[in-house]
Amino acid sequence: MAISSATKAATDALEVNRAPVSVGAQEVHKWLQSFTWDFDKNRTKYSTKYHMANDTKEQFKLIAKEYARMESVKDERQFGSLQDVLTRVDAANRVHPKWNESMKVISNFLEVGEYNAIAATGMLWDSATAPEQKNGYLGQVLDEIRHTNQCGYINYYFAKQGQDAAGHNDARRTRAIGPLWKGMKRVFSDGFISGDAVECSINLQLVGEACFTNPLIVAVTEWASANGDEMTPTVFLSIETDELRHMANGYQTVVSIANDEAASKYLNTDLNNAFWTQQKYFTPVLGMMFEYGSHFKVEPWVKTWNRWVYEDWGGIWIGRLGKYGVESPASLRDAKKDAYWAHHDLFMIAYALWPTGFFRLTLPTAEEAEWYEANYPGWYDMYGKVYEEWRARGCEDPNSGFLPLQWFIENNHPIYIDRVSQVPFCPSYSKGASTLRVLELNGKKHSFSDQWGERMWLSEPERYECQNIFEQYEGRELSEVIAEGHGVRSDGFTLIAQPHTSKDGRLWTLDDIKKIGCVFADPLKSL
Amino acid sequence: MSIVVSGGRRGLTDPKIAAVILAAIPDQPLETQRKMNYFVTPRGKRVNEYETLCCYTQPTPDWIPGGLDWGDWTQKFHGGRPSWSNESTEMHSTDWHRHRDPAFRWHALYVKDKAEEWRYTDRFLKAYSADGHVRSIDPVWRDEVLGDYLGAFGFSEYGLFNSHSSATRDCLGDTLRMSIAMIGLDKVDNAQMIQMERTFLAKLVPGFDESTAAPKKEWTQGSIYKGARETVEEIWQGTYDWNEILFSGHMIYDPLFGQFVRREFFLRLSAYYGDNLTPFFINQMQLYHSQTKGITKDMFHTCLAVDENFGDYNVSLMNMWSDKWLPRTVNALKDFMGIFAKIPSIAGVTDKAAIEAALGRVFEDWKRDYADPIGYKVDTAALIKTVLSGLK
Ligand SMILES: [Fe+2]
Ligand SMILES: [Fe+2]
Repeated sequence: MAISSATKAATDALEVNRAPVSVGAQEVHKWLQSFTWDFDKNRTKYSTKYHMANDTKEQFKLIAKEYARMESVKDERQFGSLQDVLTRVDAANRVHPKWNESMKVISNFLEVGEYNAIAATGMLWDSATAPEQKNGYLGQVLDEIRHTNQCGYINYYFAKQGQDAAGHNDARRTRAIGPLWKGMKRVFSDGFISGDAVECSINLQLVGEACFTNPLIVAVTEWASANGDEMTPTVFLSIETDELRHMANGYQTVVSIANDEAASKYLNTDLNNAFWTQQKYFTPVLGMMFEYGSHFKVEPWVKTWNRWVYEDWGGIWIGRLGKYGVESPASLRDAKKDAYWAHHDLFMIAYALWPTGFFRLTLPTAEEAEWYEANYPGWYDMYGKVYEEWRARGCEDPNSGFLPLQWFIENNHPIYIDRVSQVPFCPSYSKGASTLRVLELNGKKHSFSDQWGERMWLSEPERYECQNIFEQYEGRELSEVIAEGHGVRSDGFTLIAQPHTSKDGRLWTLDDIKKIGCVFADPLKSL
Repeated sequence: MSIVVSGGRRGLTDPKIAAVILAAIPDQPLETQRKMNYFVTPRGKRVNEYETLCCYTQPTPDWIPGGLDWGDWTQKFHGGRPSWSNESTEMHSTDWHRHRDPAFRWHALYVKDKAEEWRYTDRFLKAYSADGHVRSIDPVWRDEVLGDYLGAFGFSEYGLFNSHSSATRDCLGDTLRMSIAMIGLDKVDNAQMIQMERTFLAKLVPGFDESTAAPKKEWTQGSIYKGARETVEEIWQGTYDWNEILFSGHMIYDPLFGQFVRREFFLRLSAYYGDNLTPFFINQMQLYHSQTKGITKDMFHTCLAVDENFGDYNVSLMNMWSDKWLPRTVNALKDFMGIFAKIPSIAGVTDKAAIEAALGRVFEDWKRDYADPIGYKVDTAALIKTVLSGLK
């Protein structure tokens, strides 16, 4: 159309219709796929053995401004509730002390996952070629910043308003001391960002988000509210509203590589490895946090696990991907066995190493012991009896000079750490499936607790070289390690970690630990 | 009472559960230090909310300077490359956690601003269209300049946007990572606003082509954006060092080429062609530019250039990078001069003297704000002369 006639047409059009006109997000988004162009160097900086298709679409078609509007509406509601009604009813001081402690770990460790997901989805934004697919990942980059800030906000809120700020106020500095940290980094940090980009997407989106996000984020809100905590549901349910888009991103990742030949060769192996990687840590740690970190119980972890991990994810979600050649991971059956006992085994070790935490742990009470025995028959003979012995020896009392770790040493039950998952295990005293495997490479010994991790290490040992806490602390005295890792409260000598949450119980200090003279040893050295 | 809670009963509101909880809570809080992240070195007098929520969220070991963690990575890339590593950049820092967004925006504050801009954009477009402003736009300016050349500039913004992906992945600090993702999002927002304006025009002006085909052809095959395109491709995909990506994009290319195109071409000229629409969008881009400028100047000038151990080294590296990226940017501007042959001329506005004055403003601003702080010696008159040689 000639220019002058276009102007005339515009003028004419206005005479007929002066209705206000705007532009919707979708009207902009529909052009997005054409925003890129071809050039020589246009390829990702992160290699992947898969090829992500150039025409991959996204399901949630957001533009930058619409994204901001949507999130900001959710923020208003969420921060509004926290700052207004929950503060007025003093909600942070109406949370059961055990749960107050659990949130030190849950919120901070989830924060690490959220934080690393920023980098992970940055990598995927780089790897994808289709602008829509890039856009889906970009939305997630921003979401994960949001979630990082939200998780931080929980600790910030509990520190400011709650009953025990220590650990909430400095988790980012003290979290690295204890036995749960390195394993958390494997699943939540390095597993998301270091590897083939698609493998990382599978870890983050297909397994981390689609499989474990439900137990982690949704189940945690149920346990929280049962134990008096309304802050966590307020924040976590708001986080969860973004997760649908992230699961869709994971789904699109698979769709984008489905026609690639590499997918038929590698996808199921990568999925199996990713599933085992994630479950190896989450299955025991989540179960432990819920059951041992609460007073009021919602349901046995094994039930939650079966419903969400085994049936919903392993069955329905993976089933939906069946048409792309995706199969249920072979390791799912072994994981199912772990879901019964692994968290009980892990709590025993975590409690034995309580001084290295940034939270207070509590031994099960008599009524809890009953609940455990009813839901996990055989629990008392294996664990309950030992806890009674520990309690009788004064494990909660600073004057006793007794750390449960001594019980493991006295009874010759060495605690090892799995090189690949970094999860501690005690092969001679566990009901879970852990078995000790030791391999040597270049004069260095490595312990493993299962065949799946061992296989990963055997094919690529250079990916799993990280030293564990026993190697790191070998020869050092416990109180020294704690002091160096800032594991003390603001008085400078009382530990953040404690072996009880009783309001009448005495608090342990660095001196109480020092008196015991506990020195770290590397169990692999004595093999 | 039983410890089993069923039916969604809540500890805060169920009187029996609440009684058990209250009985277990200590009479006095166990800890007096209630300030989260109290150990962070604040930028201002005390640790603010942004610093509380963002600082040290990144779990890097202490061999990446500033990290609070210890040891190795628990999983590495195939072949053993580490998750994050000092080798990812030639810059050195004593502490990669020092950077602050000068506006202290964490996620909620960032999206709140952008959400307001979106709502206002929607209202503005409605008022603009109902008011019939569109009749006053010069047809050549509208159909060729906005249709093709503004559209083509969207690709520059989109390419720069994508240069932030690997920087978001690879950078070594948490406040850095959040800032990089946010200034990246602003760039794709710019590209989308350009398309939004074109789609809006297509709704008001029958026959106006909103498709991206012609702008893309102009961007990929035309002469006006040739130098720009080659530079953007090199920033986006030719460069691996995340600091160099940020430096080339935000300390050289955008403050010179981006500023000239946005501020001195589209923003300054649009009013002369009866276009009051484009300034609405460009002004938002200029807001983002100034916020980004605050962020990247903080990264390079406030933190890296004055680092107590590596400041001198970093400054000399910034000078070398300037040597590398400045000629390409000048060349991009030189190519862009071809656009003045495409628009109806207006004396005192589009003639050589006016263009030279506009270039003078951009280069002087750049010299003052970007070159001088790192002691980069630059002959702006000579650079402007080179650019002007591109006038047809
Ligand atoms: Fe998230
Ligand atoms: Fe997510």
